[in-house]
Amino acid sequence: MKAKRITWLGMAILLVLMVGLAGCGGNNVNNVETPPTESDTAPTTGTPDNSSTTGADTEPVVAGDFEVQYCVGGYGDAWQKSLLEQFKAKYPDVNIKESAGPKINDQMKPRWIQGDPPDLVFIDCAGGIDVLQAVKDNQLMDLTEWFKTAENTDGELISDILIAQPQSIDEKTYAIPFVFGSWGTFYNQALFKENNWEVPTDFDSFLAVSEKIQASGISPYVHTGVHIGYFQGGFLFPAIVSNNGDDPTILEDMAAMKPGVYESEPVMKALQQVVTMRDRGFIDKASVALNHTDSQIQFVQQKAAFIPNGLWVENEMKNDTPDGFEFGMIPSITQAPGGKYIANPYSSPVAVAQKAKNPEAAKAFIQFMFTKQAAVEWAELTGALMNVKVDLNGTNASGLSISASKYYSSPDLVVLPAIAFNADLEKEMLNATLALTDNKITPEKWVERVEAAAEKLRAKN
Amino acid sequence: MTSQRKRGLFIASFILPTFVIYCIFTLYPIIRALYISLFEWSGASDNMNYIGFNNFRDMFADPIIYKAMVNDYFLIFWKVFGILIAALFFAVALTRFGMRGTGFYRAVFFFPNVLSIVVIAVLWRFIYNPSYGFLNGILSFILGRPVDIPWLGDSTYSIWALLPPAIWAGIGFYMLLLIAAIKSIPASLYESAEIDGARQWKQFTHITLPLIWEQVKVSVVLIVITSLNGSFAIVSVMTEGGPDNATQVLGYYLYQMGFKQYHMGYASAIGVLILVLSLVTTFVLQRLMKKEVIEIS
Repeated sequence: MKAKRITWLGMAILLVLMVGLAGCGGNNVNNVETPPTESDTAPTTGTPDNSSTTGADTEPVVAGDFEVQYCVGGYGDAWQKSLLEQFKAKYPDVNIKESAGPKINDQMKPRWIQGDPPDLVFIDCAGGIDVLQAVKDNQLMDLTEWFKTAENTDGELISDILIAQPQSIDEKTYAIPFVFGSWGTFYNQALFKENNWEVPTDFDSFLAVSEKIQASGISPYVHTGVHIGYFQGGFLFPAIVSNNGDDPTILEDMAAMKPGVYESEPVMKALQQVVTMRDRGFIDKASVALNHTDSQIQFVQQKAAFIPNGLWVENEMKNDTPDGFEFGMIPSITQAPGGKYIANPYSSPVAVAQKAKNPEAAKAFIQFMFTKQAAVEWAELTGALMNVKVDLNGTNASGLSISASKYYSSPDLVVLPAIAFNADLEKEMLNATLALTDNKITPEKWVERVEAAAEKLRAKN
Repeated sequence: MTSQRKRGLFIASFILPTFVIYCIFTLYPIIRALYISLFEWSGASDNMNYIGFNNFRDMFADPIIYKAMVNDYFLIFWKVFGILIAALFFAVALTRFGMRGTGFYRAVFFFPNVLSIVVIAVLWRFIYNPSYGFLNGILSFILGRPVDIPWLGDSTYSIWALLPPAIWAGIGFYMLLLIAAIKSIPASLYESAEIDGARQWKQFTHITLPLIWEQVKVSVVLIVITSLNGSFAIVSVMTEGGPDNATQVLGYYLYQMGFKQYHMGYASAIGVLILVLSLVTTFVLQRLMKKEVIEIS
């Protein structure tokens, strides 16, 4: 009897140990760094091949296993599914593997860490790859040369038909923005009509109308202090570009942390505009404590007249918006009278992994997806805009998409490139901007803090 | 098999599985974090760069680390103070005051413990909301003029605003711990004290407190450890460390550095710092609270 019990116990221990050791084993596997794959050194035959890609089904390079990573988030997955199916029809020798799902960024992370990434990645949703960090980690393929001449399957130069150009990172191209949206200043058209307020066209008229709004007992301007990036995207960055004679390279210089750029005149003037607005009491005092939901609720409840936000806000607040509320959007409110509007885009890019096993297929797919036809399909399936200049008239796209697409193809509007900042620099800039709007620091101190953060990063690299 | 070996095997059958699980889920991560803290690593690639103790050197030069530490100890101090006073009071009230409906109150006071800390933080965000929050509403009503204080947005006072939810969420558990301790004190002690003419306060200071001192000590240590490791959740939901790092704590800074700014090595170094601080603080507190143990024989 006793012996039997002991045998059982022994077996139980063995089982537990086995489970435990298996766990250890699993962990160890993670530590082993997979040797770099041979495709790493594969010659980039991209450029010469591309010219012949157009319409050539006999293309020998586009074949074999091709893995795509995309997350299923706000835009769904209908477009990717449809495009991949069409791609497969065009290149039957390609064996497509979709790594997709709402949590795909987390699921694929171990494979990126181990150096076994997919070929093509749509960077979107929470936990997506940070492009700058990935470039630093040598995870994304340098597409500079290829992109210069890359044509889509209709024979158009891809760079010609993009609304927002890819960010140049050390003069190189790594990620191509494929979703297009824009920051801006939002207001309630109905409220403005009702009160006979003029929709501002420049900074002076913004100040003038804000005065009237304030007199009527409503806060002119509310923003989300917890995520002050909304304010930077919708106000500060367009202001800097306007003050730089509509030349967006200054933002790229800021992202590249060029010495002296933060104290340059355009930046100082833009910061001064923030100060003007702040000192005249136009910024709602509550802003500093609000997160995006709080501030948007404040806005749709008409406790504040303007809010810096992104094009998604109308959809996001659908359930909380009172009847009769009409969203209106101004791309920028910081230009001088008669100046051009600045549209500061936000975007989700698509990129090829540095260690892609089938980079040819990945590039071919990029050429396949940046067509006008695919852009129409995107607008129809997601209600959002793809980063391609296209006429959506007569399509099934939503009214908002149609009007927005006209807007962004207009010559009176300067569309900035999609720019990502180093995460450390951005954090310090956000903190300093919040402190500036809250009257805790001066523009000079803002410059000093951001410059110090940049200097620290320069010293490291 | 000798009986001694049998006994050994029997004991091992209890200890070994626990030990193995402990190793996998506690020891291994600690060692791994120590290891990672010696690298420059984004946490997203196979690109790990050995840099020795540079992360720690950077850490000691980082003003935000000191700010976060001050905030952490600020929260710890007031949480220990607030939770213990409230929990002790409720525990004594529910056991010694002979009130009616103690079961009801016990459940009510314990209720916040059942809620997730995230729910509590979101709830309190609404209370603190400057425009339609409960707190400003009440103040406006009392003062007869509109009050629009941005409680979570003030760089000096927002850290105070984190205290009420943190304390409110903690009371229930420690109250139960202390109730159990008080209930284990023999009633005869109180009876004789009463006969000798000791009032509630005398009874509390001379009988209750000395006899539950062990549990009070445990409570303090638990509050300290859970605060150092757990302030993350409340900060993450309520302020994200803002405005301008005014409510930054080590736990949230670790997360921000590791997952938002891609310095996993640095984040691990912060983790090591939290570990060291927890150990040192616990040790110091144990020393400070050392009292002659009074036992009922």
